[in-house]
Amino acid sequence: MQKPPERMPLKNYRVLDLSRIWAGPYCTKLFADMGAEIIKMESLSVYDSHRGPVNPAKGIAAYPDGEPGDEPWNRNGWFNCLHMSKYGVTLELTKAEGRRVFERLVSISDVVIENFRQGSLERLGYTYEELRKHRPDLIYVSMPAFGNTGPWKGYLGYGIGQEQLSGMAHMTGYRGEGPMKSGINHGDPITGSHAAGVLMAALRHRRRTGKGMYIDVSQQESSVALMGPEVLAYQMTGQEPERRGNRSGWYAPANSYPCAGEDRWVTIAATNQDQWRSLAQAMDAAGLVDDPRFTTNEARRENHDGLDRIISEWTIGLEAYDLTRKLQRLGVPAGPVLRGPDLLQDAHYKDRGTFVTVDHPQVGPKQYPGIPWKMSATPGVVRWPSPTLGQHNREVYGELLGLTGLEIDQLDQTGIIGTKPTGSRII
Amino acid sequence: MDLTHYIAGPYCTKLLSGLGADVIKVERLGAGDGMRWLGPFFSGAEVITGDFAPEDGAWFLYLNTAKQSLALDLKSSRGRRVILELAAKADILVENFAPGGMDNLGLSYDDLKKANPALVVTSISNFGQSGPYRDWKASELNLYAIGGLMNITGEPEQEPLREGMPLAQLGAGQNAFAATMAALMYAEETGEGQQIDVSIAEYATNILENALMQFSYSGQEYSRVGNRGYGRAAWGIYPCQNGHVGIIAGPDQRWPQVARIMGREELSDPRFTSRAGRLEHADEVDAYMLPFLIDNDKIDIFKAGQESGLGFSFVATMEDILQMEQLLDRDYFVELDHPVAGKLTYPGAPIMPEDSVDAWVFKRAPLLGEHTAEALTSWLGYSRAQVSELVDQGVLAQSEGV
Repeated sequence: MQKPPERMPLKNYRVLDLSRIWAGPYCTKLFADMGAEIIKMESLSVYDSHRGPVNPAKGIAAYPDGEPGDEPWNRNGWFNCLHMSKYGVTLELTKAEGRRVFERLVSISDVVIENFRQGSLERLGYTYEELRKHRPDLIYVSMPAFGNTGPWKGYLGYGIGQEQLSGMAHMTGYRGEGPMKSGINHGDPITGSHAAGVLMAALRHRRRTGKGMYIDVSQQESSVALMGPEVLAYQMTGQEPERRGNRSGWYAPANSYPCAGEDRWVTIAATNQDQWRSLAQAMDAAGLVDDPRFTTNEARRENHDGLDRIISEWTIGLEAYDLTRKLQRLGVPAGPVLRGPDLLQDAHYKDRGTFVTVDHPQVGPKQYPGIPWKMSATPGVVRWPSPTLGQHNREVYGELLGLTGLEIDQLDQTGIIGTKPTGSRII
Repeated sequence: MDLTHYIAGPYCTKLLSGLGADVIKVERLGAGDGMRWLGPFFSGAEVITGDFAPEDGAWFLYLNTAKQSLALDLKSSRGRRVILELAAKADILVENFAPGGMDNLGLSYDDLKKANPALVVTSISNFGQSGPYRDWKASELNLYAIGGLMNITGEPEQEPLREGMPLAQLGAGQNAFAATMAALMYAEETGEGQQIDVSIAEYATNILENALMQFSYSGQEYSRVGNRGYGRAAWGIYPCQNGHVGIIAGPDQRWPQVARIMGREELSDPRFTSRAGRLEHADEVDAYMLPFLIDNDKIDIFKAGQESGLGFSFVATMEDILQMEQLLDRDYFVELDHPVAGKLTYPGAPIMPEDSVDAWVFKRAPLLGEHTAEALTSWLGYSRAQVSELVDQGVLAQSEGV
């Protein structure tokens, strides 16, 4: 195993990570970014489904050049963007010898985290009480979709579910049309990020009191927490929130406007009167400021359709970045709608090192999202690529747990550990 | 020390106050946090006039629970001195001025570090403290666009769409909270503070997942697909009798359950049994599902799916959320009484750290300047007379209550 980083905030902590897909892995990704030792444990029969199917069709874009290769589970971009700087091991918890190894790992871990369907680990005999027998000050984070109690506790929540059940989808959509899902599943990173901060608070609490903790995370509650302002607004007004498209409830204009090129757009928002005047100036249409339809914020909100038409006529032949720079020079909030290639080439993101190139042994060098913030004293770095299935079995079970080579061989031969999947369920 | 305003910064410090930190929110005299001026308001006011900030805006009330408000003139040298004195006693300072804003106030990181070498200073901004876009102005709309999330939301033939909630700002506030906790632990172990630079746009780029990865891996762009899952069928938001539901057809071995729930023999057709087959015949599959969906209640459909092991969902309204049996059973909500806005039901802890009533602090948001005297007397040992003098000099303001 590698030496822990010299100066990182969480370098002294070890997390046994049984989580999969995105919510749990985003939490442990932030921990890995902060220097923690993450041991990501998967089963050979049911590995993290973000690795994709055992036999995917060719041409799926998540694989390098659409080519799944001989070991597609190691070549999937969904998985490989979330597990950098983590150790990867496999273990079968349904077998007695696997359980003994697991319990030894628990005994040397600060945290166990999982986001199985509620009760899954308990059915294997591992309640918090049981886990604590192996590590009395353990912090155990359990994050099923709806939490570990209540009438919906056994329900599944994946994909688009949390965005809907939290009310986010209710507010998202074109004006006068139905709710719209977003391009990603926001509920996962929302839960993962909340969990990361709360878990650090729990570790700090343990440092001061010596006591571990059981943290019951409901992914749904974590998402509803971001809806608070609208939940209060509904009680004040008795009105459900409107779907406003890209408009603001506070100021106008705000929208995305078509630009030169295929599916090219610029967003513009004038959040106050000065910005509105500057926008009119940029459009070379100073007369708009005196037009009674647009003089005040209220009038602009009232006549938003007409204003959108006028702005679109101005933007439609122009390039989105050029427009943005022109507006920003005048202090008007604006920005191009960036697509994948734009993001990776963008001057600002390049300057800040937002995306990092990481060389994965079965993929080659590719760009990935990096550490999502910068720290002056402990900047950190992506230490290694996402592990292939069972890549660190020997390091973790040998160097960390002290199993002999012979013992590890035996685990391998009996199918308790390994690097080749024996099955895979996929959503 | 909380020098934040609007959304991203206040959400970060709301999480800290929820976990029990003493959060002293520094606000402008008279005007306070700009968020105080944005509705809807409990009073029903549409437009706010006058010089004094309203106390009853829904957004402010939610984003500032359990904080203390110190009203102070940041631009006065005496006000600055109070901030530096407080910074010397603080563990954390969070701010979300435009980059350079703190420097202009004479509160650069170097100034703060001099006052307290162990201080964690968390700066949240639109594009970060460096780079060519550092000084660009942005609203949520622009951040969602430049962060890459907007391009993938909405219908392919219509304009790109943003989320209804300001999720880039709120998410960046969450990440700022996690980063702050990490730096706090480091500072407590080593005595060394530091500055954290959180960019809201960068938060968005960090959660693009496959929307970015598939381009990085194979050069194929991810595009808008409306309400259908990318590369999926019978997977998305559909209308029903009284709203909308989320149907998730999968995994493949559970497709027979979907067909059974929808009550249509035709859906058992071998053409539809695989994900690829459903994708090829997506419109036909939808047409067979819609009659059942249109005839049934959203919660009944959700439960019919869940009871069959399918991850169905429904599009919850605010009313649905407040009545949701799962949330009520888990005592998620909390009622807080506010002198102006009265009793309202607030969503509770995003994560309850421990099964204990004391594990999260539930208190209403402060009135502007409600804790001015208290902060200076309890933290800095000022006398009441000294505070009064500073109030008279226009450096501080103390709320007299309402």
